[in-house]
Amino acid sequence: MSAALQLDNMHKRFGGLVAVKDVSFALTPGEVVGLLGPNGSGKTTVMNMISGALPSDGGRVRVSDTDITRMPPHRVARHGVARTFQLVRPLPTLTAGENVLLSLAFGHKRHWGREAQAMVEEKLAFVGLGGRGNERVGNLTYIDQKRLEMARALASEPEILLLDEWLAGLNPSELKIGIDLVRHLQGQGMTILLVEHIMEAVRALCSRCIVMSAGEVIAEGGTQDVLSRPAVIKAYLGDDHA
Amino acid sequence: MKPIHAFPLAGAILVALAAAPLFVSDYWTGVLLGMTGYVTLATAWALFSGPTRYVSLATVAFFGVGAYTVAVLNETLPYPLVLASAAGIGAVIALVVGLSTLRLAGVYFVIFTFGLAELVRQTVSWWEVNVTYTMGRYVFLPFEGRHIYWQLLALATVTLLISWGIGRTRLGLALQAIGDDETVAAHAGIDVTRVKLLLFVISATLITLTGAIQAPRWTYIEPSIVFNPTVSFMTLIMALLGGAMRLWGPLVGAIPLFFLFEWLSVSFPDHFSIILGLLFILIVFWMPQGVLAKIEDLRKGGRT
Repeated sequence: MSAALQLDNMHKRFGGLVAVKDVSFALTPGEVVGLLGPNGSGKTTVMNMISGALPSDGGRVRVSDTDITRMPPHRVARHGVARTFQLVRPLPTLTAGENVLLSLAFGHKRHWGREAQAMVEEKLAFVGLGGRGNERVGNLTYIDQKRLEMARALASEPEILLLDEWLAGLNPSELKIGIDLVRHLQGQGMTILLVEHIMEAVRALCSRCIVMSAGEVIAEGGTQDVLSRPAVIKAYLGDDHA
Repeated sequence: MKPIHAFPLAGAILVALAAAPLFVSDYWTGVLLGMTGYVTLATAWALFSGPTRYVSLATVAFFGVGAYTVAVLNETLPYPLVLASAAGIGAVIALVVGLSTLRLAGVYFVIFTFGLAELVRQTVSWWEVNVTYTMGRYVFLPFEGRHIYWQLLALATVTLLISWGIGRTRLGLALQAIGDDETVAAHAGIDVTRVKLLLFVISATLITLTGAIQAPRWTYIEPSIVFNPTVSFMTLIMALLGGAMRLWGPLVGAIPLFFLFEWLSVSFPDHFSIILGLLFILIVFWMPQGVLAKIEDLRKGGRT
């Protein structure tokens, strides 16, 4: 069985700074994998290279058997890779429903018209925004904007979902709702790469983790195992705690 | 749905407007002609600049290219071919300009388009002086004011129909998303560059045709007449006053402002630019979304 998402020897430099160095990993279909690491370790850069927001300087990204390396974002999206943004980015002049419709209309499989309207409602209901398609996004609360961000990503009917700190900034009860939602997706067989700082979420959702530090992968394996390795603790907390 | 009921009404108004020259004086036909020209310009401008918020000051570059094409070709080609050539030239220029500039952000795009209008004017002037040795050309076409007016009315109708049609398709949704957040639009699967380019070309082609159709009105054409930057600014202000994000916005802005500008240019010819500038500032400060949005806000505010 081929990997759902495979990265080989990804490189990225910004001027003299090597932001991502020789990063390789693979996700099997249906797997939820955590991509961890302290701030500035290169996680978001990796996400951006997968989704096409940043061109890589070397290496290869494959989705199933398609090479998507250096494809522009819209083509990556059409190849079944959807993402959320670290800070929610709902489109303010569109309604909640239109935000979702956008991904349906231009995503992986292109839907339009009456069929698409029904699907918008279905996606909104899935994230807990059922019946609220006509609302202006400015009127939504933070958790609801997070939900909308998720619904918009799901509406492109991706095979791989990149969640960039999607759970950040939620209060404890909202966090629980968020985790349940991701778990629900997991149950449906979605392949998810989760960049996350909230360990509670990582432990609850990820069977496997990849830890980056200073642009390199420093640990990879089962979540419990990886999180207890001295190198990982050191990367996060500094030498004294190792 | 409201738009369905709006169709017979719009049709009736169109018929009345088309019949008007048969009943009014030549002077008023001329006024209607000028007004229809600006309605077309403002609507065509807003087609691209409204949703994407790329403020273009290149309106007069395309307008002038249209008029000049007619001036150059009117004695060598049949009229429909002259118009087709103008449209083609406008589209090609828009394609080249679009490919090279639509990656420019915000204010850089504004400055570039303003520069483009000047560049085109200077290039045409240079060419006429140094290559063809003619400064200024005559347009001899057997058209009266009403003939030009009918053509413009048809073009205005087509422009509004295109604007209405785009708003109904996924292209319209894509445009609006691009205006909101290009990055999100791209990650949703929209080929942002292609959409912007397509709309820029459609908009520029319609603007070029507006210039081409109006060319016979002047009889004598020279660069300083048809490449007058005031055309770009007036188009912009009209579209913004009505609301560049709405179908009827540019029309609603263009009609009163056209009459105001006519009156101002006759009554205060020396202060016209100052008043134009002040008006621009007032509109941007008071109703950046345009009159239609303002009215909607007030009505919503009244209900709650």
